[in-house]
Order: sequence, then structure tokens, then C-alpha cells
Amino acid sequence: MAQATMQVQDRANQALVAMKDLSFSYADGQPVLDEINLRIEVGTIVGVVGPSGCGKSTLLSILAGIVQPTAGDVAWAPEQRTDRHPISMMFQGDTLLPWLTVKQNVGLHYRLVDRKRRPSPIEQRERVESLIRLAGLTGAEERYPYQLSGGMRRRTSFLAAVTPKPRTLLLDEPFSALDEPTRIAIHQDVHDVIKQQGITTLLITHDLAEAISLSDRVIVMTARPASVFKTFDIPFGSKRKMLELREDPEFLRLYGEIWEQLATQIQRSQQGLRK
Amino acid sequence: MSTTLESQAAPTPDGAILTPTANRRKPRNRRLSVLAGQVALLAIILGSWQFLPEIPLLRSASHVFDPYFVSSPTRIGATIFNLATGSNNSVLIWPYMWQTVFASLIGTLVGLTLGALCGLILSNFAFLSDVMRPFIVAANATPRVALIPVVVIIFGLSLTTSIVIAVLVVFFVAFFNAYEGGTSIPPQILQNARLLGANNVRLLFRVRLQYALAWTITGLPLAVTFAIISVVTGEILTGYQGAGYLLSTAATTGNASLTFGVVFYLAVIGLLIVMGAEAVRRRVLHWWAR
Repeated sequence: MAQATMQVQDRANQALVAMKDLSFSYADGQPVLDEINLRIEVGTIVGVVGPSGCGKSTLLSILAGIVQPTAGDVAWAPEQRTDRHPISMMFQGDTLLPWLTVKQNVGLHYRLVDRKRRPSPIEQRERVESLIRLAGLTGAEERYPYQLSGGMRRRTSFLAAVTPKPRTLLLDEPFSALDEPTRIAIHQDVHDVIKQQGITTLLITHDLAEAISLSDRVIVMTARPASVFKTFDIPFGSKRKMLELREDPEFLRLYGEIWEQLATQIQRSQQGLRK
Repeated sequence: MSTTLESQAAPTPDGAILTPTANRRKPRNRRLSVLAGQVALLAIILGSWQFLPEIPLLRSASHVFDPYFVSSPTRIGATIFNLATGSNNSVLIWPYMWQTVFASLIGTLVGLTLGALCGLILSNFAFLSDVMRPFIVAANATPRVALIPVVVIIFGLSLTTSIVIAVLVVFFVAFFNAYEGGTSIPPQILQNARLLGANNVRLLFRVRLQYALAWTITGLPLAVTFAIISVVTGEILTGYQGAGYLLSTAATTGNASLTFGVVFYLAVIGLLIVMGAEAVRRRVLHWWAR
């Protein structure tokens, strides 16, 4: 019994991806990422904050395979299951296809992937419908993107990324264009869906409150060239309530503590710009 | 210099205050006034056209005031009626109009399809588009109307000639629109589609095709207009059936009323076709909210 628990814990602590001395420079030699060492454990949400332009988005692009690192490596745990999609990303800009309804956009993966890798039409429909229910888009299934509010568009984009059952989900400043109340409401649903689906997630954001609300661990990056500056564990578990969290003394304490560290890097980054 | 700049940059306080109140005050009244203004303007134009040439002094001063050259609204009205009914030994305009409209519509359809296809393919293959670019720019800069003699030599005096002329013009409208649509897709949408599992073929058929088509259909009203203009031009030049043939006949027989009558029908039918094209565009692209 004790052994079984250990195993489960082992698996939970297993790194899905480990970055070792990961560096990236532009073609002109300008360094962007400088020896990043970071492990992301299976099933966790890791939030990355840092000064503007420090290279956070480059990090995501490397993980997504859009950009190749110039040094160091990214090691992914071997995949046992064959039905899992390796990686999904939710972009900062709008990626909904305007001629598809909400339902069709959520199921976009099925339209794009090889026939062999598509589940049966019934499974497809069930997955799309259950996700739409989970993310509070019920009633909007047949609407087109231009008929949606900003928050609903973001929910649809998020679900489109979750539909393929990704092993890893990358979120690139996903909610920065939304107003605060809408953002907090979305945080709740996004967090619930990610935890319910057990998706390992890397979140990049300017918004420290967002990082703390959603993540199990928050990483503060240094000013450019970016490396890992500080790491904070966020102890709110997987059933957190976003509205209550905002007045939780522990949340406020963590916010202050992390902000203090982040501020030093923002200051460094500004001094760097002035030089 | 500085005063000009200042006066340009200076806000217009009167306008800023007046415009909103004027707009707020009974929009229906305003619409009626606009309509009344338009009717009045039309009356002035038709009235001057009708009555100015009746002043002997003006008439002897210039051809512009000679009804032989400019006809008159009442004569044109009679011609329009005769063209529609065939009364007073007039020709019937309908077979001629049909010829022109048919050639324009078929030409639009074929030109649009070919143009969209080429635009889509070139937007998908950067190498191909780099190779083709100078040829396309050169072909587009060539006045297609100047190619009408070549088309006539190849296809003779026939309906095919009219259609080919329309295709030549519409093709480029559709091509540039489709190319623009296929290349202006936001990069994030392409990256997102790839991450969701799309290969090149699916990307072409499930994403790029729709953008190219959307842009092509946006250009539909313009394409139809161009098709009608080029078909009529071709008919005038070749004297082959169609509304253009009637126009060239009117010119050789010095019949100004017939010219204006045919132009009237061309304008009305052109307007109807463009409205139809606009309706198709709006229906097909209902999701294209911009």
C-alpha cells in the first residue's frame, strides 16, 4: 500500500519536460535566453513572470518547436500513450477561424489532423460538448466568432487548444486583453478544466495575480537575457476559488513576496534600457 | 505657412457643437430633406438638358446645346420605351442585352474561378510566387482591351470572344484578391493550425482556401462591373451582337437618343447585377465582420 502511494507520488514528481542550460540568441548574437534550467512536473501548472521583453515568449516558442534553441537542450519524458497530442498552444492574438462556429472552432483539431488520428464522430461530439459545458459556453455553440464577446472568444480559443488532449499546454499571455472581472471568471474555468483534464501547463503572463491564481509554481525570470531568478511554490491546490483567493491573506502575502523579487528585475531591465 | 497650419489644425467649434445636435434632431426629417434635395438636383439636370437647347443663342454657340448631338430627356424617354417594346419599328433591346449580360456573367464566373485558383496556389508556394511575380505584374500592367484584336483573331466574331475578353479582365481582379487573402493570414493562425496537427495539404484546404475565397468574393461586385465594361468595349470594337453593337450602330448613324437609351439600360442592368453580387457577397461572407 505504502509502496503504491510512493509510485503514484513518483509519477506525479516525474518531469514531463526538463530544460538544461537552454540558451537562445538572435542571428546578430544578441542573447535572449541565458542557460535556463527548468523542470515541469507532470500535471502541474507553472507560471512564468518577468520584465517585459525578457524573452518569456521565446521560451514558449522553443517549447512549441517554432524556434530552435542555440544551445542547451529540452528533454521530454518518453510518451507511453499514443492517443495524446504532444503540444497545444493558446496564443495572445485571436486564432479562431471566422467562418467556423464556436463548436466547430473547439473541434478544429479534428478538422486538421489526419483521418487515422481522429476519434469516432460520436467521441468527437461528446468531447466538444463536454468541454463547452465545462467552460460555460453552453448556448453559444452555433455562434460565429464575430458574435462573441472578448471573454467568450478567449474561452473558445482555450478549448480549441484543450480538445486534442494535449500532453502539454502552453499559454502565451492568454487573457491580457480582458477586463479584470472577465479575467477572474475565466481563470476559474480555465483552472478547473486544466486540473480536471490533468494537463501539464506552462503559463506566460505579465499579470502576477494571474500567475499566482492559476499556477502551482511561479517562476520569476531575470531581466534580459533571461534565466530563472526565483521559484515560488503556490500552495492553493487544485480546487481553488478565484474570487475568494483574491482576499486570502496567503495570496496577498505571496503576491507581496514575489512582487518584491520581480520588481528588482523590472528595475534592472529598465536600467538596461536606459544605458 | 504657420497660419495655414494653424487654421487647418484649429478645431471647428461650430461644427463640433452643431453636428451632433443636427444629427440628433429627427433623423427621418433629415432623410426626407436629403431625398428632396436629390429629386431637385435630378430635376435641374433633366430640365437644363431639355430646355437649354431650346434657347437659339446657346444652340448656335455650341454642339453641346444641339439636340442632334445631345438628344433630350423626352426623346431618350421615348427611345427607352421603344427599345423595350419594339414599337415605332424600333429594335428590341432584350436580345442584345442578354448577349452582353450572359457573356459578362460567364466571363466573371470563369475568370473568378481561374483567378482564385491561381492566387491560392501562388499564395501557398512562396518559391512559385517569386518566380511568377514579374510576369504577373507585367501582364496586369498590360491594357487587356488592347488584346481584343488577338482574341478576335483566335476566336473569331463569337460569343466566346466576348467571354474571353471578360475572363482576361476578371482573372486579375480575382487573382490579386485571392493571393492577398492567402498570404495575409495572421501567422499565429497558421502556427496554431500546425500545432493542432495540420499538415501542408490540410493547411491549404482547411485554412488558406477559405481566406483566399473570402477575399475573392469580396471583389465580386468589382469583378462583375469590370466584366460588363470589358464585354461592352469588345462589342463596340468588334461590332459583334450585344449592347456594344447597338452603341456602335448608334454612333455610325448619328443617333444620340439610341446611344443614351442603350447606356440607360446598361446602367440599370449593371446596377442590378452589382446589387445581386453584393447580396451574394454578404450572404456567403456573413461571418466576415470587419
